Amino acid sequence: MATAIETVERENPLIVSTGATLLPQPCVLVIFGAAGDLSWRKLLPALYNLNVDGLLPSNFAVVGFGIGASGDTDAWLRDRARDGINHYSRRPSDDVHWEDFARSLFYVEGSFNEARAYASLRAKLEAVDHQFGIPGNRVFYLAVPPQAVPSCVQHLKEAGLISPAEGDRPFTRVIVEKPIGHDLESAREINSCLATAFAEQQTYRIDHYLGKETVQNLLVLRFANSIFEPLWNQKYIDHVQITVAEEEGLTHRDPQTGEVTGSRVGYYEGVGALRDIVQNHILQVLCLVAMEPPRSLEPDVIRDSKTQVLHCLRPLSPDDASKAVVRAQYIGGDMLGQEVPGYRHEVREFFAMRKQPIPPESTTETFVAMRLFVDNWRWAGVPFYLRTGKRLPKRVTEVAIQFKDVPPVLFNANPSVPLEPTVLAMRINPDEGMSLRLASKLPGPKVRIYPVKLEFHYNASYGESTPEAYERLLLDVMAGDPTLFMRSDAVEASWAFVMPILDAWNEGHVRYLPEYRAGTWGPLEADQLIEADGRHWRVL
Amino acid sequence: MSTDTSDCVEDVGVVPLSSIERTLSSALTKVQQPDLAPVVRACLSNLVIFCREPERAAAIEKDIPHIVRLHPARVLLLVAPPGNDEGGIEAQVCVRRHRAVTGPAVYSEQVTLRASGHAVNRLPYVVRTLIIGDLPINLWWAVPQSPPLAGTLLFDLAEHAEQIIYDSTGWPEPAHGIMAAAAWLNRLVEEAKRGFWRTAADLNWRRLKVWRRLCQQALDPRTAPGAIESITELVIEHGPHGVMQAWLVGGWLAHRLGWQLDQSRVQPGNEVSWSFRTAHGTARVRFHRLPEGPPSIRHVRIACKLEGKAGALDFAVEDERRLAVVLEGVEAALPRTVALPREHEHDLVGQQLSDRERHPVFVDSMRLARNMANMVIGMDSAAQK
Repeated sequence: MATAIETVERENPLIVSTGATLLPQPCVLVIFGAAGDLSWRKLLPALYNLNVDGLLPSNFAVVGFGIGASGDTDAWLRDRARDGINHYSRRPSDDVHWEDFARSLFYVEGSFNEARAYASLRAKLEAVDHQFGIPGNRVFYLAVPPQAVPSCVQHLKEAGLISPAEGDRPFTRVIVEKPIGHDLESAREINSCLATAFAEQQTYRIDHYLGKETVQNLLVLRFANSIFEPLWNQKYIDHVQITVAEEEGLTHRDPQTGEVTGSRVGYYEGVGALRDIVQNHILQVLCLVAMEPPRSLEPDVIRDSKTQVLHCLRPLSPDDASKAVVRAQYIGGDMLGQEVPGYRHEVREFFAMRKQPIPPESTTETFVAMRLFVDNWRWAGVPFYLRTGKRLPKRVTEVAIQFKDVPPVLFNANPSVPLEPTVLAMRINPDEGMSLRLASKLPGPKVRIYPVKLEFHYNASYGESTPEAYERLLLDVMAGDPTLFMRSDAVEASWAFVMPILDAWNEGHVRYLPEYRAGTWGPLEADQLIEADGRHWRVL
Repeated sequence: MSTDTSDCVEDVGVVPLSSIERTLSSALTKVQQPDLAPVVRACLSNLVIFCREPERAAAIEKDIPHIVRLHPARVLLLVAPPGNDEGGIEAQVCVRRHRAVTGPAVYSEQVTLRASGHAVNRLPYVVRTLIIGDLPINLWWAVPQSPPLAGTLLFDLAEHAEQIIYDSTGWPEPAHGIMAAAAWLNRLVEEAKRGFWRTAADLNWRRLKVWRRLCQQALDPRTAPGAIESITELVIEHGPHGVMQAWLVGGWLAHRLGWQLDQSRVQPGNEVSWSFRTAHGTARVRFHRLPEGPPSIRHVRIACKLEGKAGALDFAVEDERRLAVVLEGVEAALPRTVALPREHEHDLVGQQLSDRERHPVFVDSMRLARNMANMVIGMDSAAQK
């Protein structure tokens, strides 16, 4: 079957000349929830940068949809976009580019639950199509809470806004933000609901981690360098550590006054680190680390290889869930010399500020550490240690491959001074890059071994700042390339893996979780988890 | 040496050829702060830049910090004004800190070699000693002349280069330049088949990326059904010294649409035109030189059917920041625009250094442009006789 890109090239002989692998096609991007935070901070600045780079099609427009606008709604969205660009764009806004970009921004005010609003949306889209010469292609970006997805999909269908994915008809694509559900059942419901209106190839489940350069570089590192793949297995690898550490808590404060300026408690409470980070970001990264070589770079071939890893994860029994998984919650501590409150305090503060009833003491985990195994030939017996948490000492996302020790002879013969193991670390965030720790001889007459670190920094080697993940991912949707998006079976497989943990936690009915002080690397239990295996968390 | 003194932290000045490497190393040692992380010597490739005139060298000196910010490289700047004396080679070195990066201090290196007289021919020997092994070699031919017309010096400097970058803007005899360049590009393709992979890139082709993209979008059958098949005329207006862009766009469009060259006509002064056979009739291609303006395409008009009626796609540069296309004959259609990205020479070079892909369409388009040029040269010769 021809790919979307091949089909486009066949129809228009001028297209091959661009030499680009990404060929964004003319379309209207409809952002549901365009008044929200994601649109303001990420989507509109990303689109602006694509516009500055000349990567958007000339026949392209953005229509925001939702409530929250006032007065002249088109002007309102443009003001909102400019503000977002001024705050968050990697490039400052300038008048000429802004003028072009603003021309293509529109807004339709209406509730996601009202059929009338969709009729207005349809009328607007038809007008925009005509003005910009867009052949009816649509991308619907559902930047809405998961519970609003079914209603949006149903109304889009009823309003006749979805073209089937077949033949030469204009395309309709839908982008759904994570989290896809809050457990396996709800994820299945969302997937089934999407499937009633969209074919799988029209559905793009976004996980912005997969748009990061270093994450994409994992495949290149493994399969474009002949030295790594022969070592990438249980014969040579001792264990793998994946860390997603965040400095931030759930509440943002003005550094001067200490006043609350923003809070994510409303989203996070009841969700927790396992659902927020492990089920999607970390398991997706793990798939890239552990997958078998795909036979081609076709999107579904790569996605098959990744999903296969999820199917090979050793299922956790309720007993494993208590022994191999640690959850915890931060209490007050110190971040860079400033006292910061604990999570429970932030939750109480959040509800008190909204004058809403304060819920019972939270048992939402802000930290998870776990050990898991990929039960296949390549990874048999190799533990993967995962940890993620908020209010940890620094923001860092890293995958570290620790190779097995050399035999205890020659340079490793002295048990009192064992050699440091060889470690390949891939830094995803911040300061993207990688390092390889090796043993070397210290200069001098004696044979003394010392670890040295060979480092590669994206910034230093490749110069200017790289595009934001959302820029890449939005272009991919416009080009019809789903490689970096999660397929429904992968989403469900990753939920299926974490469900025993969630079930065990639910059944536990604990009143208090293990605690860690803000500004530390997590609870004692997390250290015990890995140290019981004779290993240690990496110092990052 | 460097005019961008805020970037060039360690300018050692003139050094003997034999101590260039040693001087670079000691300059990097000198900038190391005792209590900070080791400085990083950033180097993705070797960039050999060849130019003739000191004024051009001064302009390139200013651009180098921008280039290495996009693509860190060991830069070997060769300045070789023409002359007939015995001459000599003088070397200057500096290490330059990158300003735009966070984390450890990152430096790149530059060696400037000024040769004169017959010593110019010795430059390739010096370059060989200064190339860092295991890294790609790029040669930027910063001379306003079709590279193959330079003779053996180019071939010696490009001996191991994987990419040769040149800029066809302002070539003194564009038709002759195209003839030579197209044949040379074909040779590179043939050499690649024998295992010697290398590519050549014209910065002008890169500059025209946005034009090609907008043409491709405006003529797309899904947004303008029947437009491609009904083209009857292509008019390209360019500023003085911008005719090479017209050749490149004209050659590209005619090649991609499968047009067959029929005949050409040169108007005295400022216009040249060709007739092409298309699948559905004939199409006329005209290049028209404007009396003033920058050395680039300013306006393109493609006469074709839009929505079943006679119309035209009218492309024009607006404010030097955007490219707009107006659909003549289509009611209520807004002009479509795309941003013209930064087009400083240093940006183009910096981007091109990381782009090692071969572009077969460029070579094919040049081949067609060569046929067009051949016709023009033939007519010129006939007129002179």
